[in-house]
Amino acid sequence: MDATQRISRIALQLALAIASLMMIAPFVWMLLTSLKSPADIGSYPPSIIPKDWIWANYADAMAAAPFLTYFKNSLLISIGHTVINLALAMMAGYALARIRFRGSTVIFMGVLATMMIPTYAKIVPQYLIAKSVPFFGGNDWLGRGGTGWLDTWWALIIPGALTPLAIFLFRQFYLTLPRELEEAARIDGMGEFGIFTRVMTPLVKPAVATVALITFENSWNNFLWPLLVTTRDDLRVIQVGLAVFQQTEGTQWAFLMAGSALATLPMIVLFLATQRYFVQGFATAGLK
Amino acid sequence: MASTVASEAQPSTAAAPVPPRGRRHRRLGWEQRRAAWLMLAPALVHLIWWIGIPVVATFVLAFTNYDVLAGTASFVGFDNFVEMFSDDVWNGAIWHTIVYTFFTVPVAMAIAVIVAVLLNQKLRARAWYRAAFFLPHITATVAIAMVWMWMFEPRVGLFNAILEWFGFTGPAWLSDPNTAMPAVIVVGVWQGIGLKMLIYLAALQSIPTELYEAASIDGASKRRQFWSITLPLLRPATFFVFVVSMIGAFQVFEQVYVLTAGGPANATTVMTYEIYQTAFSEFRIGLACAQSVVLFAFLLVLTLISRRMTGKDDHET
Repeated sequence: MDATQRISRIALQLALAIASLMMIAPFVWMLLTSLKSPADIGSYPPSIIPKDWIWANYADAMAAAPFLTYFKNSLLISIGHTVINLALAMMAGYALARIRFRGSTVIFMGVLATMMIPTYAKIVPQYLIAKSVPFFGGNDWLGRGGTGWLDTWWALIIPGALTPLAIFLFRQFYLTLPRELEEAARIDGMGEFGIFTRVMTPLVKPAVATVALITFENSWNNFLWPLLVTTRDDLRVIQVGLAVFQQTEGTQWAFLMAGSALATLPMIVLFLATQRYFVQGFATAGLK
Repeated sequence: MASTVASEAQPSTAAAPVPPRGRRHRRLGWEQRRAAWLMLAPALVHLIWWIGIPVVATFVLAFTNYDVLAGTASFVGFDNFVEMFSDDVWNGAIWHTIVYTFFTVPVAMAIAVIVAVLLNQKLRARAWYRAAFFLPHITATVAIAMVWMWMFEPRVGLFNAILEWFGFTGPAWLSDPNTAMPAVIVVGVWQGIGLKMLIYLAALQSIPTELYEAASIDGASKRRQFWSITLPLLRPATFFVFVVSMIGAFQVFEQVYVLTAGGPANATTVMTYEIYQTAFSEFRIGLACAQSVVLFAFLLVLTLISRRMTGKDDHET
C-alpha cells in the first residue's frame, strides 16, 4: 500500500467515523440528558456531560408516569404479536408453498395485494370494526351502543397480529426446500401436519428468527393503532405513554429522555445481538 | 432471490386439475387439500376481516356521512370530495406532503448510496458503521422524535448551542412556521438513510467483481469506475429505493405528531395528520375516508409508475 492510498484510507475512516457518530448522536444526547439535574438541563450554554449524574431520574420518571406498566404492556403485546404471527403465517406460507390445491394462486395474489395496502386506506374502518364488535363493551348484537373492543387487550393484540409480509416471507423460504424430504416422510406414513411441523419447519429456522424479529420490532414501535384504541392509562403502550407524557409534562426533559431511553433501548440491544437476522429480513423483504 | 424462487413455484401451483390416479393418490390429494385449507383458514379470516373489509369500507364510507354515535351512514355522493378540495388546510396538507417527500427522499438516497459504496469495501469497523446508520430505522419514531424535539429546543437545545458557538443566533425551529418543516425534514432524512443503505448494500453485493478487475486493468480510476459501472448497475435498486421511499414519505405521521402536531399555523400538517384529525378529533368519518382515498390514489400512481418503468412487481427487485 503506497502513501496516497494510506492517506485516502485514513480519510475514509475518518469521514465514516464522523458520519456514524452523527447518526448515533441523538441516542447519546438522550442518555446524557436523562442523567442530568434540572439545573444542568436549564443551564446556558448547555454542558454536554452531566455535572452530576442523577441516576434517580429513571426512578423519578417512573413515579411521574407509569412507564413500567407501559413497558410491560408493550412487551406483552409484542410477544403476543410475534407468537401469533409466526404460527398463522407459517401455516399459511407452508400451505401456499408446498401443497397443490385449486385456488392457491388466487389466494397468493390476494396476499400480495393486501401487502401493498397502505395504513391509511384501512385505518378508519378498522377502528370502526374494533368499536363495533358485537357483545363486547356494552354493544348489542349489531355492534351498536357500546365501545366494543376499544380499551381492551383484544383491540391491542388481535387486529395487528397477522402481517401479510410474514406469510409472503415464509412462502418464499418454504419454497426453497427439496421435495424429496416430504415424499420420504409421507412414505413413512407421516400426516400433513406432521410433515409441516416436524420435517419442514425445523429447516426454516433462520426464517423464523427473521420474521420474529421484524414482527417484534414493528409491534414494539407501533404508535397510531394503540393511540386510537386506548384511553386507559393501564392499557397504554410505551410509545403512546411517552407521547401523552410529553403533552402533559412537556418541560421535564430529563424524565422525557429517561422514558425515551426505556422505549428505544430494548430495540437497540435486540438489534445489536441479532443483527444478522435483521439485515437478512430487511434485505430480502426490502420493504416494511 | 424472490424472482428465482417464484419461477420455480409455477409448475406446482399451475397444475390444479389432478389427473386420475390410483385410490391411494386420490386419498392423499384430498388429505393434502384439507390440510392446506385448515392451515390457511385462520390467516384468510384475519386478512379478510382486518384488511379486506376495511379497504372496501374506506371507499364506500367516502361517499357517506357516517354518524359515529348512532352507527348509521347516509349516502351523500361526492359531497365529501367537494368539501375536501375547498379546504385550505387539506390542500396545504397535500402540498406539505409533497414538499416533505421532495426534500427527504433524494437527500437520504444520495447519502445512502455513498455510504453503501464506502461500506461495500473491506474496512475496519464496517459492522459498527452499518449498525450506526441502520439504528435510526429500527428504533421507535415517537421516542426518537422526542429526542429531536429536545435538540431543537430554542434556548438550551443542542442545535442552537452549536450555532451559538459559531456566533449565530438560532431560530425557534419547531415553533417558527418557516423552520418547522425543515426541522421535520432533517429528522426524516436522518431516519431514512438506514433502510436505503441496506438495500443498496444488497444490490452492490450482486455486482460481479470481474467488472471492476477488468476496468482497473484498462486503467479506469476508482471515480471513473463508480460513474461507469457502479451507478448504472445500481439503477434497478435506485428505482426500487426511490419508489419505496416515496411511498413511505407520503405516509409520514409520527414525527409530525410528536414534533409539531401539524403546527405552527398548519405549516407542517401533512395528509396523514389531517386524516387523523378529521377522523379522530372531529369524528367526520366520511370526510376522513374521502381524504384516505385521495392519499391512496397518490400512492397507487407511484406504484403504477414504478411497475411501468421496471416491468415487474416492486417486491421482486
